[in-house]
Amino acid sequence: MTALTLSTVVSIGFFERALIEAVLAGALAGLVGTLVVLRKRAFFTTALTHATFPGAMVAAVMGFSVVVGSAVFSVLLVALMTAIARFRGQGGQVAAGVVLTFGFALGAILQAANPSLPISVESFLVGSILTVDAADIALTAVVLAIAALVLAVRGRHIIFATVDDLGYRAAGYRAWVAEALTVALIAATVVAIMPAIGAILAIALIVGPAAAARLLVTSTTAVFALAPVIGALAGVIGVVLSRELAVSAGGAITLVVAALVVVAAGAQRLGVVRWRRDEATNLAT
Amino acid sequence: MPATDVTTPGSLTEPGVAVRADGATFRYGADEPVATGVTLTVSPGEALALIGPNGAGKSTVILGLLGLTTLHSGHLSVLGRTPAAARGSIGFVPQSLSLDPQFPVSLEQVVAMGRYRRLGWRWPGRADRNAVRRALQRVGLESLRHRRFGMLSGGQQQRGLLARALVSDPPLMVLDEPFNGLDQTNREALLDIVRELKASGVAFVISTHDLDLARAVCDSVLLINGKQIAVGPTDDVLTLGNLELTFAGHQVEVDEHTVVVPPHEGHA
Amino acid sequence: MDLVDWLFGPFSLPFIARPMIVMAVLAIAVGIASVLVTLRSLQFVGDGLVHAVFPGIVVGFAIAGRDGLLVGGMVAAALGAIVLTLIGRRALGNDSAIALVLTVMFAVGIIIVSRQSNYVGQLEELLFGRLLTVTESDVTVTAAVSLLALLAMLAVARTQLFRAHDERAALAAGHRVLASDLVLAVAVALLIVVATAAVGNLLALGLLIVPGALARLVTDRLVLLVPIAIGAGLLASGAGLWLAYRASVDWAVPLPGGASVIATLVVLYLVTLGLRQLRPQKERASAFDRRAFDRSALVRA
Repeated sequence: MTALTLSTVVSIGFFERALIEAVLAGALAGLVGTLVVLRKRAFFTTALTHATFPGAMVAAVMGFSVVVGSAVFSVLLVALMTAIARFRGQGGQVAAGVVLTFGFALGAILQAANPSLPISVESFLVGSILTVDAADIALTAVVLAIAALVLAVRGRHIIFATVDDLGYRAAGYRAWVAEALTVALIAATVVAIMPAIGAILAIALIVGPAAAARLLVTSTTAVFALAPVIGALAGVIGVVLSRELAVSAGGAITLVVAALVVVAAGAQRLGVVRWRRDEATNLAT
Repeated sequence: MPATDVTTPGSLTEPGVAVRADGATFRYGADEPVATGVTLTVSPGEALALIGPNGAGKSTVILGLLGLTTLHSGHLSVLGRTPAAARGSIGFVPQSLSLDPQFPVSLEQVVAMGRYRRLGWRWPGRADRNAVRRALQRVGLESLRHRRFGMLSGGQQQRGLLARALVSDPPLMVLDEPFNGLDQTNREALLDIVRELKASGVAFVISTHDLDLARAVCDSVLLINGKQIAVGPTDDVLTLGNLELTFAGHQVEVDEHTVVVPPHEGHA
Repeated sequence: MDLVDWLFGPFSLPFIARPMIVMAVLAIAVGIASVLVTLRSLQFVGDGLVHAVFPGIVVGFAIAGRDGLLVGGMVAAALGAIVLTLIGRRALGNDSAIALVLTVMFAVGIIIVSRQSNYVGQLEELLFGRLLTVTESDVTVTAAVSLLALLAMLAVARTQLFRAHDERAALAAGHRVLASDLVLAVAVALLIVVATAAVGNLLALGLLIVPGALARLVTDRLVLLVPIAIGAGLLASGAGLWLAYRASVDWAVPLPGGASVIATLVVLYLVTLGLRQLRPQKERASAFDRRAFDRSALVRA
């Protein structure tokens, strides 16, 4: 099956590949994005998306897989953020800000020191979905499958730990497992969708669909189901628009995400979505 | 004597009353009302205790006096004006555990914050520094003034926040659960300060679930559990029947000074 | 060449001296902003502002080159500051909303840039700045805007301090918290614009976050925070520019000035972190401290 699928993917055109990647990346971002939104880790994720940039650059400079470089670097960054956050008066926001900034400065320096890089810096930053290859698509598909599996098996635990930290611990579970799983999924997602949407715009694709889904449905399970759909939709529409209007694909996808959030907000406010009761508090805060 | 605050325009339209509410109902933003039927009067030199279980609306009413929760219906006047207009003339003492213990300020700096409004644009002068020192002396914490605020004990922090409220000589003081977790020494110290201030004409509204505090220093009590249960002079209101209504389902012992209130399921 | 010459020689060269003046001005103004950002925990909002000024800068740059950059940036800065401050008052999905706003603004900028002809070059200059080629007029503009922002921040400093510690009490005492928040946000946004012109959009955030965080690591005395933050900025600017010069002259590596300064600043921070780790802890961080301290939820009115 694998060989057949890959050869099929390789042989189709770049636009079709972009569309497939858009669906997969959008779905993955929406799925894991729900976790990000529920556990309020948007800044953490932003820092991770921005700061994997130098990891990808180091890999490009040294000639090995950008994905591996990003993945290794993201592990280091998470460790660094965790360490910084423990210090007095620092905390999660400082950690994210420091790491984000450092990552970018390093990336800029690396780029200056290696002007003959084979890969364009700009594509790291805003993505280049129109040039994704079979390997990128395969990676996205694999991470999506893993994320779906993890959430199917441990999703209840993670939600419990998020909504009622004390109760979770009191019930004898270890909260750090939920945290570790979340962080791992976020890092993997960031690495996987970077080729599609780049380091800076990735956060919109991660957070947006989940935010829109939350405005439309109440139960957490429904959000986990709806967000990937919205993400995939945004991906596809964005890619199509980018071709029609000759603009950056990453930018187009981001704006489509924003439009969908606005539409969802409007639908909610107008009471169009009747099954949304005012139990906003179970997902809010 | 409560200073007529020269920086705040207007004066009490009802000189004898610090707070008056009539059938007032409060809510947070656009949510459902959480504290209903509140009717009370507090005069200068008097203290009212606001008593009820957790999640029953005490904080909502307290914040309503400050104009931080919305008045849904009914009437409320604070120092003869709307709550928003009365801001600046109220000394608010929150619970110290709502504050970040790592915040890089000393006790003296926290107390000085109470003076900022009066300072406006100018640099602090001798009068301002003296006001801070007097407030610190009044709560008995002058020797600790350079210590970081978060490093003080809970009781000391409460007294520090009281000093911050005092430093601007407000005619009305609003205290949110001031006695939570305080040891006997600090309780006594706080009670003495409240008595002194009452004697000089300051009005108090104090939310608490400590009946001993209510009896020791409050002239009237308001019982609330979502809706107001009863209001009036302390001894008249603190009956077993009323308390059972207020704390329905909770342990109540009228002889003990502290009411044991288990966490209220389902409420914030 | 003796040691003094080796160390300070580069700063007599105009193309190092001018950037140093710009960075010195920024170190002071943004240093103060950084302390306020630290006290208010506005780091993410700062990130939002950084990204939000990007489209304004892009549009301004596309229309009128470098002069247009500042004007466009400031318009976007003011708008972004207001929107982000107002969003920050709602307790629901706060950080997600900020993330969305900042990315969308950035995407708008990207799209506009992608329609220009010199796409990649422009993008790089906007993102990473061109500190080493700042002009005389850059210095003047930076100084003027920084002074304005500084005055605004001084005006609201007391209210901001009070409100950072205890928002409800500040409101109860009659302080106009929202107005003061907006003034701070606009002042910070203006500083981000001039910082962007110097070190680039993405690195400007470093100037806004790191000095205050570093100062907070070193001391918990309020009066020392600002001098330390400014000192860190000055030191990093000098060392960073010096390194950029050395790298370019001695090793033929054209280090970008902005990235060099910011990287030095972060290294300074990490070193400070390491030194703190070595000192015996005066007090352990409590569970309260480790929990995310969500101030936006305190006042729901």
